Amino acid sequence: MTQKLATVALVLAATAGSASAEKTKFEYWYGLTGDLGAVVAETCNRFNASQDQYEAVCVGQDGYEKAVQNTIAAFRAGKHPTILQAFDAGTADLMLSGEFYPVSKLMADTGVNIDWADYFPGIANYYSSKSGEFFSMPWNSSTPVYYFNKDQFAKAGITEAPITWEGLEAAFVKLKDSGQACGLAYAPSSWIDLEQFSMANNVPVASNNNGYDGLDTKLLFNTTLHVKHMENIQRWLTDGYALLRTQAAGKTSRDSFVEGECSVFFSSIADHNTINKLKPSFAWDVQIIPTYEGVERKNTVVGGASLWVLSGKTDAEYKAAASYLAFLATKPEQQFLLENSGYIPVTKSTYEALKAEGFYAKAPYINRDIAMKSLTWSEPTPLTRGIRLGGMIQIRAEWQAEVEAALAGQKTMKEALDTAVARGDEQLARFAQTYAGKSFP
Amino acid sequence: MRRAYFKFSWIAAALLAPQLLIIFVFFYWPSAQALYWAFTLEQPWGGGNTWVGFENFRKVLSDPYYWSSVRVSVVYALATTVLAMSMALTLAIFVDRQLAGYKAYRVAIIWPYAVAAPAVGLAFQFVFNPGAGIFSYINTIAPGWWDLSKYPWQAVTAIVVAGAWKQVAYSFVFFLAALQSIPRSLTEAAAMDGARPLRRMIDLQLPLLTPTFFFLLVINITDSFTDSFGIVDTLTGGGPFRATDLMVYKIYADGFRGFDYSGAAAQSIILMLLVMALTFVQFRYVERRVHYT
Amino acid sequence: MIERTPILNIATHAILVFGLILILVPIWLAFVGATLTLQEVNSAPVEFWPGDQLVVNLREAWAQSDFGPKFVNTLIVATGVVVGKITLACITAFALVFFNFRGRMLIFWMIFITLMLPLEVRIVPTYAVAANALTPFQTIMDVTGISWLITALSGIEVALEWNLLNSYTGLILPLVATATGTFLYRQFFLTIPDELVEAARMDGAGPLRFLWDVLIPLSKTNIAALATIMFVYAWNQYLWPLLVITDRANYGMVVVQLSDLVPDQLTTGGGTPTWHLAMAATLVVMLPPILIVILMQRWFVRGLINTDK
Repeated sequence: MTQKLATVALVLAATAGSASAEKTKFEYWYGLTGDLGAVVAETCNRFNASQDQYEAVCVGQDGYEKAVQNTIAAFRAGKHPTILQAFDAGTADLMLSGEFYPVSKLMADTGVNIDWADYFPGIANYYSSKSGEFFSMPWNSSTPVYYFNKDQFAKAGITEAPITWEGLEAAFVKLKDSGQACGLAYAPSSWIDLEQFSMANNVPVASNNNGYDGLDTKLLFNTTLHVKHMENIQRWLTDGYALLRTQAAGKTSRDSFVEGECSVFFSSIADHNTINKLKPSFAWDVQIIPTYEGVERKNTVVGGASLWVLSGKTDAEYKAAASYLAFLATKPEQQFLLENSGYIPVTKSTYEALKAEGFYAKAPYINRDIAMKSLTWSEPTPLTRGIRLGGMIQIRAEWQAEVEAALAGQKTMKEALDTAVARGDEQLARFAQTYAGKSFP
Repeated sequence: MRRAYFKFSWIAAALLAPQLLIIFVFFYWPSAQALYWAFTLEQPWGGGNTWVGFENFRKVLSDPYYWSSVRVSVVYALATTVLAMSMALTLAIFVDRQLAGYKAYRVAIIWPYAVAAPAVGLAFQFVFNPGAGIFSYINTIAPGWWDLSKYPWQAVTAIVVAGAWKQVAYSFVFFLAALQSIPRSLTEAAAMDGARPLRRMIDLQLPLLTPTFFFLLVINITDSFTDSFGIVDTLTGGGPFRATDLMVYKIYADGFRGFDYSGAAAQSIILMLLVMALTFVQFRYVERRVHYT
Repeated sequence: MIERTPILNIATHAILVFGLILILVPIWLAFVGATLTLQEVNSAPVEFWPGDQLVVNLREAWAQSDFGPKFVNTLIVATGVVVGKITLACITAFALVFFNFRGRMLIFWMIFITLMLPLEVRIVPTYAVAANALTPFQTIMDVTGISWLITALSGIEVALEWNLLNSYTGLILPLVATATGTFLYRQFFLTIPDELVEAARMDGAGPLRFLWDVLIPLSKTNIAALATIMFVYAWNQYLWPLLVITDRANYGMVVVQLSDLVPDQLTTGGGTPTWHLAMAATLVVMLPPILIVILMQRWFVRGLINTDK
C-alpha cells in the first residue's frame, strides 16, 4: 500500500502559525483601494464581529485588474480565495472558464435565503445568465450621471437640467452667452460615451445582443447613433462649448468642474461622494445622462464590480462565503456602504426603505437617487441587459486611442471609429478562437 | 578575451550551483511556461488552450501600431541612457573632487532611486502637468504650447526625463564607487607629472572607468526596455494616441490588464530577442574598447 | 584636492548645484504635496510652497496604513536580499572569471538573460512556483520516471512541497535571482591584474583563499554600491509582495501599503483622490533607504590600497 509521505523535503513552517480554528475562515480578495478599500475592510470586520461561526479574511489587491490577475495566478496554483471582487470588463474569461460557483446556486445549496427578485432588473441582468440565474453578487454598483453647476446654470437662465442632447447643446449656448467660458469638461470614456450611451439610446454596441448570444460577435458602434454623437462632441470642442479635460491634458474633468471652470462634467454616480469631499464653492446637482430626441430612452446599466465565488473550495468555505454575501445584502450593510461612498442601493426594498426614511433628502445624499431613475427607466431589453464581450479591456483601449487621435485632428471621427471597430473585431475573433466551442452560460 | 587561472573543479561547481539553482527554479521554469503560451491561445483561468504555432507572432508583427511601438521603445532607451549616464558621470566626477559639501551631494543625488515606483509618476505629474505643473508656466508665456495630450514629442520627452531621473541616481552610485576605487597614488603621480585636473580626468579616470561604464550601458539599456512601464502608466497611459506605447507597456496592457497571455507572451519573446541582440552587439563591439587592466 | 583650481572649483559647484536642483525638484514637489489639504492638493496650479498639514497628513497616512510592522518586515526582507545577493553574485562571478571551463560565456549569458523578461509577464507561473518551490523537481522526477521507481521500490509516494507563500523566504529568494550583481562583479574581477593572481598562486593560495584574502577586501566599494542599490530595490518592491503575501498584518511590505494610498485612476470613479496622504506616505517610506545610503557613504571612500604591486 502506498502511504503518502507528506514531505520528502522541507516544509517551511511560516504558514503554520494560524491554527485551524473553531471558526471557518475564507479569503476574499478585493480591488478597491484608498478610502473605498477601507470600507471593504470594514465590512469584513463588521461581518466577523456579527457572528462567531465564520471569519472573513479580506485582502486588498490594489486595483481591480491586479485583483483579477493575482487571483488567476493563485487559481492556477490552487491557492485562490473563495470570493473575488471583479469588475465588469474582467469577467468574460471567468464566465467562459466555468470556474465559478453561481451565487444563486450557492445560496440554494447552502440554504441561505436571498430574494433575487428584490434586485433591480438593470443590475440583475448584468450579472445573470440568460435564464436569470445570478452569477455573481452585485455589491458596489453605479451608473453614469452628469454633474452640473447650479449657480452657473441659473445665471444663464437655465431652469431645468436638460435630458436631451439637443437640450444640453442649447444650454451650452446659453452658458456661453452668459459669459461662462466652458460648458462641458470632456474626457473620453468608453464606459460613458459608448457603452452607457448605447444603452440609453437603445442602439447596439455589438451584434449578438451585445455579445450575450454567442461568441461570433462583431462590433457595430461605427454604424449607429454613436458616430453622430462623437461627431457632435468634436464639434463642441472645436466651437468652444467644451474643453478636453484629462489628466494628461492638465486637469481632470472632475477638477475642472470643482474649480468652476466648466459647468458640466460626466461621471459615475460614485463620484458624488468625492465631489462632496472636495467642497466646491458653488451649488451643484446631478442629472441623468441625456438621450437624443426621437429616441425611445431605455435604462442604463451598472458599472462598478460584483463579487464572484470561485470553484475549487471546500463546502465549509462556501457556507462561510454565502453567509458573508447574505450579510452584505441586508439593509444595514448596504446603508453602511452607501453612507461611505457614492454607490447606489442594489435592492428595491433597501431603496424604498431609505427613501421612506428621508435618506435621499438630506445632505450629502440629496438627489443621489436620480441614478436609480436612470437605471430603472425601462425594463431591460435584449440590447440593454449589459455588455458581454471578450477582450473588453483591449476594445476600450482601442476606442480610447482612436478617439483621442480624432479629437487631436489626426483623422475624422468616422475613420477613428472604423479603425477601432476593425481592431476590436480582431480581438473578438481571437477571443472566439481561444474559447472555440464554448458560449456564455 | 578572458583570462582564467584555476582549473575547473568541484569548488567551481559548488560556487556556481546556488545562483544557477535559483534562476532555474524562479526564472527558467516559470518563463518556459509563460513563453510556451506564445504558441497557443491560452485561456487565463486554465481549462485548455489551442495550439496556433506562429500565428501570434504573425499577428503582432503585421500590426503597424506594433512597429511604431518598437520605434518609440528604441528612442526611449537610447535617449534615457544617454541622458542618465552623461549626467551621472558628470556629477560623479565632480563629487569625486571632494570640494566643500561633497558629502551632502553624494547623499542627495541618490534620492531619486529611493523613491518608490508608485510615487515617481505622481511626483512627475506635478512637473509636467500642462495646467498645474511647473511646465504650465511655459503656457503662460506661449499659451497652449506645452500640452502632453496633444503633442507626441512632448509626451515622449516627459517619459524620457522621468525615466532618466531614476537612472541617473543608479548610474551615479556606480560611477562614484568606481572613481573612488582609483587609488590616490595614481592620481598623485599624474599630478606630479604635471597633469591638470581636466587632463587627469580624460587620460586617467575615464579609461579606468570603462568597465563600469560598460556595465551601466548594458544595464541602463536593458532596464529601459524591460522596466519602464510604470512610468508610462502613471504619466501618459501610452498616449496621446499610442505615442508613448512602449513595447513593455503594450505587454503589460495586453497581458496583465487585458488577460491576453498568448499575445503578451509573443510580444515578450520579441522584446527579449531585441534586447538580447542589442546586448550581444554591445558585448561584441563595445566591450573590446573596455580597458580591463 | 591636490592643487588649487578656483575657476574649476566654481564651475564644479555650479554644475553640482544645478544637477541637484534638477534632480530634487520632483521630490520637493512631493514634499509640498504632503503638506496640503485634500482640496488644495487637487486644485491647479501646483503649489511651490509648503502648507501646514504635514504632521496631520503623516499621522493619518501612518494610522491608515499601519506602517510600523511593515517597516520591520521590509527591513528584514531587504537585508536578506542584500546579504543573499552580494554573496551569490560574488561567488558566481568569481567562478565565471577565474576558473577555466568550457561554457563559461554560455552560463554567463544564461544568468544575464534573467534581466530581460519582466516579472509581470511571468508572474502567473512564478506564483505557481512560489506556492510550491519544489514543483520543477517533482515534475522532472515524474517525467523521467524516478518517482515511479521510488514508489515501486519502497511504497512511498513522492509528493514534494515547499510552500513559500506568506513567508520571508518567498519574498527574498526570487529577488535574489537577478543578474545585476553577477554582472557587476564580473566587470570588477576582470580588472584584477594578472600579477596579483600569479602572486597569490605562488604563495600557494588555493582559489578560495584567493577569494577571501585578496578579492573581497578589494571589492569593498563595489560591495557598498551594490548593497545600497539592492537594499533600495528590495525596499521598493511591490508587485511580487502584493501577490505572494495575503497575511498583510504579519508580512506586509511598505510600498504595497503605499500604493494602496495612491488613487487608482482606472475604476469607474468613486475613490477620493487622496494625493496628500499618498505623498506623506511616500516621504515616510523614503526615509529608511535614504538612511541606509547615508550609512553606506563611508564605504564609498577612496581606498588606500595600492593595487600596483
